[in-house]
Amino acid sequence: MSLDFSWLSDSLYQRWLLTGIGTTLLMSLLGILLMMVFGIIGAIFLHFRTPVLGTITTILVELFRNTPPLVQLFFLYFMLSSLGLSLTDPATGRSIPLFSGFTCAVLSLGLYNGALAVEIIRSGLIAVPAQTVEGARSLGYTRFQTFRHVELPIGLRLSMPAMTNNVVSLIKTSSQAALVAVADIMYGATQIMVETFRNLEVMLLIWLLYVVIASLAVWILRRITILFRIPGYGVDRP
Amino acid sequence: MNSEFRTFALGIIGVPLCLIGLLAMIYGDRTGATLAFIADRTPMLLTGSPDFSSLQGGFIANIGMSLAAMAIAGALGIILGIGLIAEFWPTRLLSGFVMNVLRNSPWLVVLYAMLYLLPFEMKIFGVWITISPVVKSIAGLSLPVAANIAEIFRGGIEAIPTGQWESARSLGYRRLQILRYIVLPQALPLMIPNLMTIYAMLFIGTSLVVVTGASDVLFVGRTIIETAGSSTASAIYIYILFLFFLFAFPIAILTRWLERRIGTVSP
Repeated sequence: MSLDFSWLSDSLYQRWLLTGIGTTLLMSLLGILLMMVFGIIGAIFLHFRTPVLGTITTILVELFRNTPPLVQLFFLYFMLSSLGLSLTDPATGRSIPLFSGFTCAVLSLGLYNGALAVEIIRSGLIAVPAQTVEGARSLGYTRFQTFRHVELPIGLRLSMPAMTNNVVSLIKTSSQAALVAVADIMYGATQIMVETFRNLEVMLLIWLLYVVIASLAVWILRRITILFRIPGYGVDRP
Repeated sequence: MNSEFRTFALGIIGVPLCLIGLLAMIYGDRTGATLAFIADRTPMLLTGSPDFSSLQGGFIANIGMSLAAMAIAGALGIILGIGLIAEFWPTRLLSGFVMNVLRNSPWLVVLYAMLYLLPFEMKIFGVWITISPVVKSIAGLSLPVAANIAEIFRGGIEAIPTGQWESARSLGYRRLQILRYIVLPQALPLMIPNLMTIYAMLFIGTSLVVVTGASDVLFVGRTIIETAGSSTASAIYIYILFLFFLFAFPIAILTRWLERRIGTVSP
């Protein structure tokens, strides 16, 4: 078996791959933002034992954690696109669907990994030493102030190692978006495969690209963990 | 099992209610007819045949593929895991590299790669064997899972105090003997919750095999949607979500209960 990578010199294929990398990075970034928002809101509901919202959060977290993200994505895509909502692009005046494949993919990533993030942040909050919380309370902080200024900042830092795994999982899951025609790396790869029939070589390159992106994300998150570390809390050398 | 029982009761009642509510919201007064339609197609989605007469795919195939992939991944993972803790450093380095590459690559990409890496048919001992999409799917799923199992294996073994190794060595055991008779019997129970988490992940990941053309539940579901019209799409996907939930949720709860009993926290 001989590998032929000569198709890589074609500028059209290079452009497809570069656009794909851009889309994947943008999708992952937006997904991570949404994931953190859902994760923190859900963790607040569970942490304060909010009567109705806490129960709903538990049910939704279990629903999203225990079902395939791919089916969730297909479901969102078919349900939301059948609503037929659209908005008008102010620059061109064209009407673009509000729930395109890209929006649905970001939403599905945010929901699936957000459900995982709820549990991660919650266990981070539980791991905050009780003395620190009691100390804040005895200094006159209210329950919410304690949460906002003491528990959440320390809890988020303590949950960083698990959150790193979750972010890597999100980047890997984002490759599914190609199945609802989002032009990410995976989609570009399938296009190139259809034209060149160099299936194996293209897949090996994509494999490498994803490993590089995931490793880069791990490195960045490790730098962030070290940068925001509070001495005395959590591991000393993450 | 108090807190787990509460979550289990909440989930097993709440999630179906939530999904039925969603169904009612989408279909309005056609909900009854949609439910009848789903009930009619249940044998198709579960076994791939219209009346439970034969097994051609569907949800049962997802379960079967996940079990087969787990068995293969277990064997591969233990070999890779032994490589991770080897004394000979090149073995350790190579195993670590393989493990990290496999763990950091999307399952979808590995599945696609397997689809093209494995030939359509292969000659083994003079017999031509056709490699079906199902076999390719199992191979593609088991590789990343094997890497995860190797990591769990290494973590479990490193959790055993080094004093156990030293005292066994002073009693004259060889390295593999220590692993086999002293360390593994203590480490395996610690690994079980993590292994169950990985199995749940693998089971959920079997939905991806739809790209290889194996007739799993998603493939059957899409065929039904194509023949019955796209208005049924939401209902079919809700039903598939429900099927996956019904299988994966009890495993997740059992894992959490075991974790609390053993006193370990999954990574």
